[in-house]
Amino acid sequence: MNSYQLRVITPEKIFFEGMVQRISVRTTEGDVGILAKHEKYAASLPSGLLRVLTEDGTERLAALSGGILKVSPEQTVILANAIEWAEDIDVDHAKRSEEDARKRCEQSKSQHDLERAEAKLQRALNRLRVSSMVK
Amino acid sequence: MAASNMKAIKRRIKSVESTMQITKAMELVSSSKLRHAKERAEQAVPYFELLYQTMSEIASEANGFHSVYTELRESGAALLIVMAGDRGLAGGFNLNVFRQADARIKELEAQGREVILMTVGKKAAEHYAKSSNRILAQFENIGEDVTTYTTLNMAEKILHLFDEGHLSIVEVFFTNMVSPLVQEPRQMTVVPVPNLERASGVQSLTNYEPSPEAVFDSLIPKYLSGILYCAIVDTYASEQAARRMAMENATDNAQEMIDDLSLRYNRARQAAITQELTEIVSGANAQG
Repeated sequence: MNSYQLRVITPEKIFFEGMVQRISVRTTEGDVGILAKHEKYAASLPSGLLRVLTEDGTERLAALSGGILKVSPEQTVILANAIEWAEDIDVDHAKRSEEDARKRCEQSKSQHDLERAEAKLQRALNRLRVSSMVK
Repeated sequence: MAASNMKAIKRRIKSVESTMQITKAMELVSSSKLRHAKERAEQAVPYFELLYQTMSEIASEANGFHSVYTELRESGAALLIVMAGDRGLAGGFNLNVFRQADARIKELEAQGREVILMTVGKKAAEHYAKSSNRILAQFENIGEDVTTYTTLNMAEKILHLFDEGHLSIVEVFFTNMVSPLVQEPRQMTVVPVPNLERASGVQSLTNYEPSPEAVFDSLIPKYLSGILYCAIVDTYASEQAARRMAMENATDNAQEMIDDLSLRYNRARQAAITQELTEIVSGANAQG
């Protein structure tokens, strides 16, 4: 199978850089898979699961907390707000932020507060879900 | 008389020496923090460059592109985000950025605009504590380990106000570390998004989902958060660099003072010995 260059970048660091055969990720419009020689494409990504099939055929999972995907002939880039490999996720921490987010949802006073609390809850749930997929 | 003079000098040397130990320690702490901060500032660059590049591409490729975040607004307040340090003892570091921000506030107010402030750093909060401007939010002690969650929260707060039509312009005042020896205060307009290169007539070859505008607008919070993150990290690195330099100067000055005092001490000691000898010799002569 053909492979292509993937870079996953967060503001804090370069998370992943290397050749991959395929990635699949959820966009705001639905799930997409990117193979080599994909057309130029860009989409925004909500929190969700990122599957990476690396050049040597191993599949890795990561929890993505929002970002954008950009495919160009030279390389595919994911600009992530935050991202973690499934095996690195701190489950206790994620559970705590889930509880915290639920509390905030209940206590939120305005629509704006509620939206933010929900986004936080979504991120925590996503991390828990992705982390449970490797165990 | 000479003996008491010597004692006083000795005491001063001791006191200057202990001051020098403190300034020396602060210098070392700042240089290690500076190294750390510089690394973080550099790591943020690839993300931000790509983000900005994508935004420029959308703005130039998409036909009839238009977004509320790139257009000038006639009405609404100006939000100024002023970033300074949490501590003093860093030479003119804090003052320089305040001078620039204060001038801008005057200028905007002279145009009859309302100015809202957001401060980062304890010193900035103190500086604007007595000002008549409305303060949207204050952040303290976040420079050393700022995360994108913090800046994303700040960005959302700002965009929330912007989306409701309360703001027309958002500017950031921060300090850019040009080199470990040179730090420059900077002013940057972040909203409306400036200087997006727009090549007209280029047909879009990229497939944007759901639409170029939607992708662009979804980038805005990340863009704003990215700018804030970079500016905070840069300001923090500048603060450390400025403090390191100020403390290095203080250490040098202390060393100079010690050298000077040691010289005076030795002279006084010599004078005392000479006087004692003279007394002994003249005493012996008188015995004759």
